Amino acid sequence: MEPITRAVTPAQRTTRRRLLAAALTVPLLLGAAACGDDGGGSDGKTELSIFWWGAEKRAELTDQALALYTQKHPDVTFKKTWQGNQGYFDKLATLTAGGNPPDIFQIDDNYISEYAGRGVTLDLTSYKDSGKLDVTKFPESLLKYGEVDGKLAGVPLGENTQGLVYDKTLLTKNNLPEPKTGMSWEEFVDWAADVTKKAKLPGTQDASAVYQALWVFLRQNGKDLYAGKQLGFDEADITKWFALWKGAREKGATPTPDVIHEGNASDVSKQLVATGKAGTSWVWANQMPELKKSTDNELGLIAYPGNPSAQWARASMYMSAFRGSEHKDIAVDVINFLANDPEAGKILGTDRGLPPNLDVRKQVAATVEDPNMKQTIAVMDELGKRYGPTAPTVPPQGHSKVRSELVRVAEEVIYGRQTPEQGAAAFVTAAKAAIGAS
Amino acid sequence: MTASTLSPAPVAPAAPQPGRRARRRQENLAGYVFLSPWLLGLLGITAIPMLISLYLSFTDYSPLIPLTEANWIGLENYRRMFTADQSYWHAVQVTVTFALVAVPLKLAAALAVALLLNRTMRGISVFRGLFYLPSLLGGSVALAIVWVSMFNRDGAFNSFLAIFGIEGLPWVNDPDWALSTLILLAVWQFGAPMVIFLAGLKQVPVELYEAASVDGASPWRKFVHITLPMLSPVIFFNLVLETINGFQGFTSAFVLSNGTGGPVDSTLMYSLNLYIAGFVDLNMGYASAMAWVFLLVIGAITVLLFNTGRFWVHYSDNEER
Repeated sequence: MEPITRAVTPAQRTTRRRLLAAALTVPLLLGAAACGDDGGGSDGKTELSIFWWGAEKRAELTDQALALYTQKHPDVTFKKTWQGNQGYFDKLATLTAGGNPPDIFQIDDNYISEYAGRGVTLDLTSYKDSGKLDVTKFPESLLKYGEVDGKLAGVPLGENTQGLVYDKTLLTKNNLPEPKTGMSWEEFVDWAADVTKKAKLPGTQDASAVYQALWVFLRQNGKDLYAGKQLGFDEADITKWFALWKGAREKGATPTPDVIHEGNASDVSKQLVATGKAGTSWVWANQMPELKKSTDNELGLIAYPGNPSAQWARASMYMSAFRGSEHKDIAVDVINFLANDPEAGKILGTDRGLPPNLDVRKQVAATVEDPNMKQTIAVMDELGKRYGPTAPTVPPQGHSKVRSELVRVAEEVIYGRQTPEQGAAAFVTAAKAAIGAS
Repeated sequence: MTASTLSPAPVAPAAPQPGRRARRRQENLAGYVFLSPWLLGLLGITAIPMLISLYLSFTDYSPLIPLTEANWIGLENYRRMFTADQSYWHAVQVTVTFALVAVPLKLAAALAVALLLNRTMRGISVFRGLFYLPSLLGGSVALAIVWVSMFNRDGAFNSFLAIFGIEGLPWVNDPDWALSTLILLAVWQFGAPMVIFLAGLKQVPVELYEAASVDGASPWRKFVHITLPMLSPVIFFNLVLETINGFQGFTSAFVLSNGTGGPVDSTLMYSLNLYIAGFVDLNMGYASAMAWVFLLVIGAITVLLFNTGRFWVHYSDNEER
């Protein structure tokens, strides 16, 4: 290489120096600008970040309820972020890893143990004890469903239970009977096969990959999905479950495997009863009004087959506060407001499930106008009287992995790559690893 | 930089002028300052995070806890990956299948189209543009969504088959076919290697073809004995690039399977499996270990390709080396 020699004239030197200065200053300025945007501070105003999943309707209602809070507390404003369920928890995990999760976030029993177990959520017990968080009007079992290892990790913002949604219009058009709460699994399968034959549309989505249906089935057989931090079932139970659905597929009660696979997506809008690809779908009762938006047909709602006393009042989702939030007290106050304020309750309706506060619930039931919400409330009221005495506690860490393993293994059986027995063995192994490993 | 400071002083001045060294140092400083945007990027966005991830691969780190609370678990993540995790090996198998099929097909398609477009004809640049178009859309999410709706049971492709009375399959929702649709999508995006092939074809001296014609060589012989050897450096370049790309496929698999790798794990590409481990199962330590093994394997494959290159890549002699 040749050495570079060049005479530097004074003029050039100044330009170079200037450039140098510029090169040094620009990043500094940028850095300063980035630091300047910390919000909050001296003027007494607080901006809380809040993050939830849901559809547009939920966003509208939540917006209104939060606006009401701001109206009552002009110093508190919100930075609202929401998105569909798919990818929500990926984003929440990323935000948490980056050290700035939202002050308030929606969470469900899939992940609450993960977040609470790792100390991300604020323990609300002291707020409950001091009365800053009012849970006196909550059903006891619902509140308990928000406790992880003795800490109150989230406030249930809605109550739901398993709901079988069916296409009423399809049945009336073809002079078919409606399914009834309390029919046995075998009766239900025969009913669905009959629908397929007469209506030329698969009678029901295959439920073998639907964890909450398996859960009900297990409880009806004296088992459970979990027993504390262990599995509450064995291979024989799962074999029975997979075999039940294998029989249903052979009778023609369900769609073809590829359509079943489509319906196993987690988004409400992809449920087969909404996309018109099957007569019934396995969802949660509060999702019925949301399903109705995707179809012109009338929908009906009943409990899952078998004895409905195996179902329970589940917290459909919670609001949790971030333990590292700078505005913990205000965050808790907002959650308290969303759960207990009568006006907020009226706005939110049953979109997240039945309101957790029983007074608010009564008031909402009396004033709700949406016919589908009305039906949801009526059905859940009816089922509520039949729930058995013991409700499951909140699922352990690894629950979401157990769910995805169920989908994977059940589909292996649905596509005919494994027998129910092989599938059962594979699922038990995978589920054990999922809750043991984390 | 170091070379220039060590090299002897230039011819003109006998003794080094005072302040000369200082100025040199100043010049170096300026160089580093101008380099700083890139250097900061390299350190901050690539090198340091990579080192952290190497550390994390020996821990049970979850994105929900602070880095400092991650527990050191030694080689446990690597042990689990190699001995206990079935889905890991399944993902390896899916990825290797994908790369082994998609890369050669894509290169063949790119070369074939480049040969067709390597002629003088009115409007040829329009054709070149059109063939390049799919690659402009790149690994975009929108394209993958279109792909899914095209290869659904009631998608456009099956409507097309129906014209001939063929009843199509639910391609993207069929575990036997889902990966094939992904391969097809990758092959269809042959634009980037095609453009490089085109440029390479233009470099082949016309005299060689003329001489071959005089000797009465058939077009096939010309292709095999002139085009391919002369093009081999370009083929090699494309092969290395596309192999690395092929192993890293993620977006289309993610979109097609709603992020699950389904149906029945048939589209569980390595990167997707890694993503699921880190962001869905919240096991970032394990995901980091997967990433490091991935890096080493891709590195090894690249080295291997370079070594085999000696036997089939011809650099023409009249080029200065």
